[in-house]
Amino acid sequence: MSEPVSGKQRGATRTRVQRGVISILWALAGVVLVVLMWEAVKFLGSFIELPINTSDTSMPHVWTMVDAFSNPVVRGSDTTVLQAVVSATLTSLKIALGGFTIGVTFGIVLAVIMQRFAFFERGLLPFVIASQTVPLIALAPLIVGLGNRISFGPIEWTTTYSVMFIAAYLAFFPLSVGALRGLQAPSATSLELMRSYAARPNQMLWKLRFPSSVPYLVPALKVSAAAAVVGTVVAEISTGVKGGVGRLLIEYARETTSQPAKVYVAVFGAIALGLAAAALVSALDLYLTRNLPKESQA
Amino acid sequence: MSSVQTSHQAVDVQGLWKIFNEGSNNEVTALSDINLSVKPGEFISLIGPSGCGKSTLLRVIGDLTGATRGEVFIAGETAPVAREKQLYGIAFQQAALFDWRTVRRNVELPLELQGLGKKERRERALELLELVQLSDFAEHRPWELSGGMQQRVAIARSLAVDPPLLLMDEPFGALDEMTRERMQNELLRICQETGKTIIFVTHSIPEAVYLSDRVIVMSPRPGRITHTVPIELGERNEDTRETDTFYAGVTAVREALRGRSASASPPRIEEL
Amino acid sequence: MSTQTAAQSRRTGRFSGIWPPILIAVLFLAAWQIFVVARDIQPYLLPAPSLIVTNFFTDLSLMWAAAFYTGTTAFLGLVLGTVLGLVMALLASRFIVVNHLVTPLAAGLAAVPIIALTPILNNMFNITSRTPRVLVTMIIVLFPMFVNVTRGLLQVKPVQLELMRSMNAHPRTTLKVLRIPNAIPFFFTGLKVAAPLAVIAALVAEYFGGPQEGLGSRIASAAANTAYGRAWAYVVASIITGLIFYLVVVAVEKWTTPWTGRTRST
Repeated sequence: MSEPVSGKQRGATRTRVQRGVISILWALAGVVLVVLMWEAVKFLGSFIELPINTSDTSMPHVWTMVDAFSNPVVRGSDTTVLQAVVSATLTSLKIALGGFTIGVTFGIVLAVIMQRFAFFERGLLPFVIASQTVPLIALAPLIVGLGNRISFGPIEWTTTYSVMFIAAYLAFFPLSVGALRGLQAPSATSLELMRSYAARPNQMLWKLRFPSSVPYLVPALKVSAAAAVVGTVVAEISTGVKGGVGRLLIEYARETTSQPAKVYVAVFGAIALGLAAAALVSALDLYLTRNLPKESQA
Repeated sequence: MSSVQTSHQAVDVQGLWKIFNEGSNNEVTALSDINLSVKPGEFISLIGPSGCGKSTLLRVIGDLTGATRGEVFIAGETAPVAREKQLYGIAFQQAALFDWRTVRRNVELPLELQGLGKKERRERALELLELVQLSDFAEHRPWELSGGMQQRVAIARSLAVDPPLLLMDEPFGALDEMTRERMQNELLRICQETGKTIIFVTHSIPEAVYLSDRVIVMSPRPGRITHTVPIELGERNEDTRETDTFYAGVTAVREALRGRSASASPPRIEEL
Repeated sequence: MSTQTAAQSRRTGRFSGIWPPILIAVLFLAAWQIFVVARDIQPYLLPAPSLIVTNFFTDLSLMWAAAFYTGTTAFLGLVLGTVLGLVMALLASRFIVVNHLVTPLAAGLAAVPIIALTPILNNMFNITSRTPRVLVTMIIVLFPMFVNVTRGLLQVKPVQLELMRSMNAHPRTTLKVLRIPNAIPFFFTGLKVAAPLAVIAALVAEYFGGPQEGLGSRIASAAANTAYGRAWAYVVASIITGLIFYLVVVAVEKWTTPWTGRTRST
């Protein structure tokens, strides 16, 4: 019955993609603002004493950072810093995605088990929930330590697997909670309807519970993807597994006296890693929610 | 406008238009050329199908949204001034109570905004809660109350500043039929005790007929007034809903909603 | 992330039977212990629960000192990030430009490992002090707080806004009477996300070098010294620290906002 409110209606007529583009433009404006503030602090720091070290070694100019992209990694090398960071970021992305996939798979399996058997829900859910309030990542150095020391049959457990394992278990917990909530989302009416059709538990799961879990699954996937990325980077850092962007962060941070801007390129790599993972999940989101009513922006 | 003192209409709507997104390609004419006068102490209902603009009309009268063209006066003041002077109280379909305030402090809200002292506020709120028969629940939280009770709190709140006019937007729409009838009786009792003018938006034909002195029938695309049905039920009581006059009123409104006799009666018969 | 908590607490309420989780925990620990002893698993792979517990209690004072150090960093970062998040949320609710600028940025940063800023902050501030760690914690805390509180300030029911308008309320009054009380449950939702994050951030920031007093440093150095039992004991201490942060927030919420978590009136 409520009549349209003009401003709201205008927003609702925009498609999701259009809204996305607009918010990306605003985000870019925000980035420009951050850049301006950065340079402003540097400028101010050359006149008055600030609690921040604004020298060029700790806060290089933004253009120095951009320059650093094309510097060689080490003097005389053919590879530029940018190339090195891109390749490290891709390595990390692969590990994070591997971990994410494993974590999501197990998360859904656990959710189905908890949904099916009340005992497991009662017994496990408190721990799964508590796991989100707890720094599980503290385990990272211990698990990375497993690398190269054990093997499962022909598969040698390398440090890369350790990193992936950490990414997986960090992705696992938020996902299982979200998936469980989703599986329990169908209304009593829908469940009664399915029961009236004498639907078997499997049919109930595939025809009703999985489809109605999508709105809960999507935010959980986003959280899990971010967790997998953080897990990958931190696991790489905490024991210095080579090849990924986390390791580069540590390495380049040690070179600030000679090449102060280098570490920033690695930071941009880590940011790109997160954004790439988020973009992949958003694509998944668009696919999963293609049949759902388009909610107007809250 | 007419600067004749004291003889103002309670509400006077003249040549009112409300157009959403005017000029854009999703332009919607919510209200077209609405003219309506309400006498002090009169109870009128706005009825019509979804999208006929009855809620919008109520909101324009309350200056919750502006008019595109035309003028609205409440007791001789323009709608924005009337809102500033708190010449009306409003109740919505949702009780819109604040969960974090007790029932009493919800009723006190408008008084608080007027800067009234703590003690007076409290006294007035308790007085109003007595009027809506909720004295025992003053210190409860809204979510501890049933839907009907919450709506009574909302009505008490709308009466808090003692405005001459009440705007009610389907206040009983979410209630079950029995509660609804009880609430209607209570509303009539409160009207009698307080002498308020009331504009009441509803979907329900019996509700409109039972409560009103006049039922304004509206129709959508564009939202406009098509008929005015005067109701003369006299004093309402338990048996009123069974009387022939009541049925006649219901039939008249129903016919008007169906658009019958639309040609017979021209849109502007408010003066009747 | 943020909406999870309300439903979670509801669910834990529904399945509040205390026995299933205890039973599962006991079974799990027993299986772990038996597996390690029976298969003679080396501590560098997986120490037995008994070894971890023994280490935890023999080095209790070390545990406490490390947890206190990291907890203090986390607390300072949490307070600063919360205050900054609140200020930004108030600005964003008042000025649409701020909202447009910060909200997409905050959404983007939610996916980004902000912890990667630590080496930069280590250069900008004194690496031998706690400051860079507090600051990175602050930045990590800032965004969930900002996002949730902004949501609370802006997601007011339209009918409540109409009510305020009908009472001719000044925007400042609406902020005080409606928006801020409305945002309080959102504030706690944000805080319940942010408090454990603060502990995680404070701990992980220690992996980037600097003082070696905290839990993160201790775990890494114990592992490097092959003292795996002690390393795991520090992990237990980290978990307890994280839980304490979370539970304190839950307790404060229960105490200050008795009206949340009930069925809401419309």
